[in-house]
Amino acid sequence: MSARAVPQERSTWQSLLSALPWVLIGLALAAFTGYLLIYSHYAWQLFHFPFDYDQGEGFELVDTLMFSRGEWPYRNIDSYPFYSSNYPPLFHIMAVPLVWLFGPQYWTGRLISYLGTLVTAGAIGFAVQREGKRWWLSLLSGLAFLASNYVYHVGPLFRQHMTMVMFETLAVVLMTVTIDLEEKDGRKRPWHIAAVMLLLLAAGYTKQLAYATVAAVFIFFFLRQTWRAVKWAIPFAVVTALIFVWIDFSTDGSWLLNTVTANINPFVPGQAQGLYRQWFHLHIVLATVAAVYAVYQLYFERLSLVSIWFVVAVINSVTAGKWGAGESYFATAIAASCILTGLAFNRLLNWAELRGWAWRAGALAVIGLLFLFQANRFFHMPTHTPALAALAELLGRPSSVAIAPQTSCSAPRDAEDIPYVDDAGVSLLGRPPTAEDSEAGRRIAALIAEGETAAFGEDAGFNLYLGRDVITNPTQFLNLYNNDAVDLTEMLEMLDRQAFDTVVLRAQFYPPPVLEMIGQRYQTDELVQMNGFVYCVMRPREISE
Amino acid sequence: MVTKRQLGLMLIALAVLAVAGSFVYDFLGGGQFSGIGPAQRLALLGAGLVALVGASLLPLGDRPA
Repeated sequence: MSARAVPQERSTWQSLLSALPWVLIGLALAAFTGYLLIYSHYAWQLFHFPFDYDQGEGFELVDTLMFSRGEWPYRNIDSYPFYSSNYPPLFHIMAVPLVWLFGPQYWTGRLISYLGTLVTAGAIGFAVQREGKRWWLSLLSGLAFLASNYVYHVGPLFRQHMTMVMFETLAVVLMTVTIDLEEKDGRKRPWHIAAVMLLLLAAGYTKQLAYATVAAVFIFFFLRQTWRAVKWAIPFAVVTALIFVWIDFSTDGSWLLNTVTANINPFVPGQAQGLYRQWFHLHIVLATVAAVYAVYQLYFERLSLVSIWFVVAVINSVTAGKWGAGESYFATAIAASCILTGLAFNRLLNWAELRGWAWRAGALAVIGLLFLFQANRFFHMPTHTPALAALAELLGRPSSVAIAPQTSCSAPRDAEDIPYVDDAGVSLLGRPPTAEDSEAGRRIAALIAEGETAAFGEDAGFNLYLGRDVITNPTQFLNLYNNDAVDLTEMLEMLDRQAFDTVVLRAQFYPPPVLEMIGQRYQTDELVQMNGFVYCVMRPREISE
Repeated sequence: MVTKRQLGLMLIALAVLAVAGSFVYDFLGGGQFSGIGPAQRLALLGAGLVALVGASLLPLGDRPA
């Protein structure tokens, strides 16, 4: 072997070792791009499904419809049609132009929510890119958000939650950029701060839960520029309060009752504990790296806004334990953890690059493996084609899962094979709706159409499909009933005299006296299964004198 | 600008306030349990943790938080 051949051989070896981690990074990019395709397929299927997929969707569409007519959805729920909304207005107002153009279609709000999650992923990627300038890491950080089981489940639904997360993320990223620029050149940027305040206001008037992000932004502002933070907090609080008072005044107090009183629900400790465990298990890499980086910042450098946001959001996720809340309450913490993970890995790579190619290759390999490990934890995919079923089996999962349809008003049914596999566990969210589900929805609507009145039901979709009144918002009714803030007299009287030709139950969310009256005056006529739920279509009972 | 030490003091004060608040709530007749209930125990544990984190920041002095 010649003297020159040795370094040449080492150089080839070095090149090979340096290239290997990129194979892992490439695999991680492929896995997360696959999740994006799965997410978009699910969204596309939902856009074509004309009924409620998640129980509350129809009521958000009703809110949008009311706003499109210039009406408030915050009403006295004691009298016919017994309807009121419990959510702030912004998301519904955003969907109004689409409803003006295309009518009360479910895809309108679903599209806005889906696009909102893409904007959030883009903002996460931007936040990582501006610090690290590594496109692949920024891309992985953004895609990791969309790949989360929780984001996947609720992202393309006609629900306001993910739009709130979008506004929150935009506010945090803009605030971070603004303070960073101000500290670099010493020039104040009040218009940027005003834009942050507007985004926070938008988040709060999309969903109340955004208060945690508002708190995080002001804690950060207070730590960096104490008196300036106080000066901005006062007008922010005044504007927020003025809007609140204006809506409450315009709705004769129904706003306060329906968005505040009705949201004081019982706390279920076991539910909160279970969701924390599941969130950590499913997001183990993102959550651990983000937590370690936040602790590092606390002791060894300055706390960033994203670190504070992550800690506050994780603490606030305890509200997922409220009755009616759920996994989506972790979405803010997930967005924050995606940014922190990207920033932490950028920092690790910068450190490794200073120590030579071997360290750099090692760091890249670790990052690639961690993203692949996280991708495996997120596992969820439809398996309705032979190729997808084979892919699931190749990845060590079953090709289908046996789940019994949910019954509440009918006898239990045997489990059925569902062509959708999700490591989050048995869930009715995430399974793309099928043509059979649409047909089942149309069957229920046809049964309602046999009568002349609107149906008294737990889903808004069937009455909307027929162009009839939407009667009741059952979960809202139950919330108000539990807070002793509703008068059931008129509703019970109408049910007693069988004023509705049809009653449609899905989960029996109504308060006990209402369910009792339905049981006395109506009987099940037909059972229809849609989206894994068995709906009871009920007709008036013959009453013996 | 707040320093690490000031942040530590704020966290300790927050923890003390939380503990005092939970006992005042009891004194005013809130809560379902006599003595320290499960939620209050959890709150006390959380407050203790926050106070510990606060105390650990005190030696870091005037470095910006």
